[in-house]
Amino acid sequence: MSLGRSEPLADARGPGRLVRLVLGTRELTLAILVLAIIAGMSLASPFFLSLANFRAIVIGMAPTAIIAIGMTVLLASGGFDLSVGSVLALSSTIAAFLLIMGVPITLAVAAALVLGAVIGLVNGIVVTKIGVNPLVATLGSMLIVRGIALVLTEGFSLSNLPPEFGWAGRAEVIGIPFVLWVTVLLVLVFDLAMRNGTFFRKIYYIGSNEKAARLSGLAVDRVRILAYMLSGTLAAFAGVLLASRLMSGTPTAGNALELQVLAAAVIGGASLRGGEGTILGAFLGVIFVALINNAMTMLAVSIYWQMIVTGAVLVLAVALDMLVLRRQE
Amino acid sequence: MPTAFLQLSGVTKSFGKTRALSDVDFDLLAGEVHALVGENGAGKSTLLGILSGVISPDQGRIEIEGDPVVIDGTARAQALGIGTVFQELSLAGSLSVAENIFAGRLPTVMGFVRWSQLRHSASDILSEFDIRIDVERPVDSLPLGTRQLVEIGKALSLNSRILLLDEPTSALTVDEVDALFRVLRRLRMRGIGIVYVSHKMAEVFRIADRITVLRDGRRVSTRPVGETSPASVVRDMVGRHLTALTDAKNVPGQPALAARRLSRRGEFTGVDLAIRFGEVVALAGILGAYRTQLMCTLAGILRPHAGTIELCGEPVRFRDLRDAMRRGIAYVPDDRRTEGLFLTRSVTENAVVTTLRRFTHMGLVDAGASRAAARQMVDRFHIKTPGLGAPAGKLSGGNQQKLMLSKWLQIDPAILLVNEPTKGVDVEAKTEIHQQIRQLAAAGKAVLVLSSDLPELLAVSDRIVVMREGHVVAALESCVATEEEVLRIASGAERPIPGEAA
Repeated sequence: MSLGRSEPLADARGPGRLVRLVLGTRELTLAILVLAIIAGMSLASPFFLSLANFRAIVIGMAPTAIIAIGMTVLLASGGFDLSVGSVLALSSTIAAFLLIMGVPITLAVAAALVLGAVIGLVNGIVVTKIGVNPLVATLGSMLIVRGIALVLTEGFSLSNLPPEFGWAGRAEVIGIPFVLWVTVLLVLVFDLAMRNGTFFRKIYYIGSNEKAARLSGLAVDRVRILAYMLSGTLAAFAGVLLASRLMSGTPTAGNALELQVLAAAVIGGASLRGGEGTILGAFLGVIFVALINNAMTMLAVSIYWQMIVTGAVLVLAVALDMLVLRRQE
Repeated sequence: MPTAFLQLSGVTKSFGKTRALSDVDFDLLAGEVHALVGENGAGKSTLLGILSGVISPDQGRIEIEGDPVVIDGTARAQALGIGTVFQELSLAGSLSVAENIFAGRLPTVMGFVRWSQLRHSASDILSEFDIRIDVERPVDSLPLGTRQLVEIGKALSLNSRILLLDEPTSALTVDEVDALFRVLRRLRMRGIGIVYVSHKMAEVFRIADRITVLRDGRRVSTRPVGETSPASVVRDMVGRHLTALTDAKNVPGQPALAARRLSRRGEFTGVDLAIRFGEVVALAGILGAYRTQLMCTLAGILRPHAGTIELCGEPVRFRDLRDAMRRGIAYVPDDRRTEGLFLTRSVTENAVVTTLRRFTHMGLVDAGASRAAARQMVDRFHIKTPGLGAPAGKLSGGNQQKLMLSKWLQIDPAILLVNEPTKGVDVEAKTEIHQQIRQLAAAGKAVLVLSSDLPELLAVSDRIVVMREGHVVAALESCVATEEEVLRIASGAERPIPGEAA
């Protein structure tokens, strides 16, 4: 079916057409920028184009990318979720806690995922059935969930996990980190689902006009609650992968992650207005931000500058979007 | 004969090709209530807009106490002593009555608000006109009728000599109307001139001193209340005696959807209504008749507080809109932009939203099948679109309206409830939509049409049910009813509401 954003207009013609197509399709813009950064950095730094560096980038961005999937689905539905960073932390501590107690790995992982889904369910119910603004509802659960993780562990990391648990975080399949395989698989599956899946198409309807969706007979509340549950589950899954990589449950992990994810999803074409955004776009947004940060590290730019640049890119991306939109109208 | 306080002569205003007002004269005396009546689109709002400084006239002269004036902007209108209370109240809900009355002009000392002075000034203004409201209460906590009085108090605090009221009673209860009229009479005694725009004949004859009728942008008549009658005012408003007849009225069949003593508190009461398969029933009425609420109740969106709904003769209770949809009822909302369509989504997506399940295989949308269905709808309704992938917002009003209707026909409903099917569409689309509605009835569907367009109601329906203030007050055969008769009944110029002393 169509892309998440409204399609480039068929009546665009002439030399401006290619430019407009590229600027009007966020995925293309970002893909070109990502390639440009890679090309530029390969020339600028001899260490950039190395396997070790790429492995570091990929492993570092995997949790962000996985969480960005859920966040993009929520943004498209007109909601969003600030609790994802906290859910990641709690899921990693709960998984670690259960493993230390001797619970089998599959069960511990399943428990962590169910926990994420339940937090999403609560978020969804508070937002849809009670009508609390998503910002307030998930800000509250962000604090509560982070608090639970800290209370459970008194702020300490839980280590001494069974060595088998570390497989997922370290393993490589055909020379590529297992984590990357999983991330890319999830991105592809959810990207296709968002384009063609009936459930996910409903997300776009709801995000683009909730009232009309309701009057069209869509089960608006149910879809929105399921979207929150998806976001919670994916955040919990990212938490499990993180615990596996670090071989510990860390209650302070993922601090301010929700804002990074939001930034990446919006750079990737999602909007707080709802009704737009694609998983592929969000994934490219995550890669883009990760690459910029990595490039600045390579070029020995202070880590504090990275925040400034990410912020500037975020505002620029949205501003560009607005300008393209205005010219179309 | 007192001299005119406000005098308009030869006022003309066009919007694009539409002439909203042509060569209209209007005058207002100090201390009179001058009612301004007319059908939708007669030019009442334009005239009010000109007086309140929102719209500037193309031609014509405006004089206040004999001096020519130019009302360019609302600030200028206020400075000239013209206060306006629009239908949409412009109050800040969470602030107090006093703060609202003195919005933007709070008494201050060195940047701090002088609360006691504010309270006193506000109470002084209100008590001067015998309006009794606690000025410290937040406006949100007041009933609608009282908020209207606050708005009037706000207009008066600007030392207004002229007060413009646009449909002031459309949302008020009977008691609130009485309270409002007491205040208006007091204002009249103080020499304030009031322009009173309304649809409601009964109220106009209660409060007005003179009545001016507008029709199609022209002034038809201005008469003192004592020299006219509701019937002749309605005749002036409608102007023509033609009854539109459509060629093929059907023989209706079995009962489809019926309301029995259906009520919702504060909205409609004891409504009896039946639609049969194969007929179009029109729901006529003016603002405040609660027709939309009745229709939403029949569609399962709102719940009745009393009475029953019968579907094919059997009592039913809809859990929600989805439940009603599953039973074959489609509700087409009146506002295509906010309720009907997904303006940023494609034509195809809009066309299939009600039937996603049909186009789903293994959880995925069948893009080819949904495009084919959309193509069929676009062809059947002659929807003009740059393409099936174009966002619905790019379509013209008439084509959007057709798209919205076609979206509902996708579910092949047995019963169709249509709210304002042709609001803001061009003549061509209007005709097509009327034909579609007639064809649906001819195909055996039951159709209920709610519209504020009287010629449309007469043209498209077999029967007309007239509602007023939440009651069904009449049922007429469309082939013998006239616009005039319907309007007279709907506006309360005759026939009291059953069970209530007029």
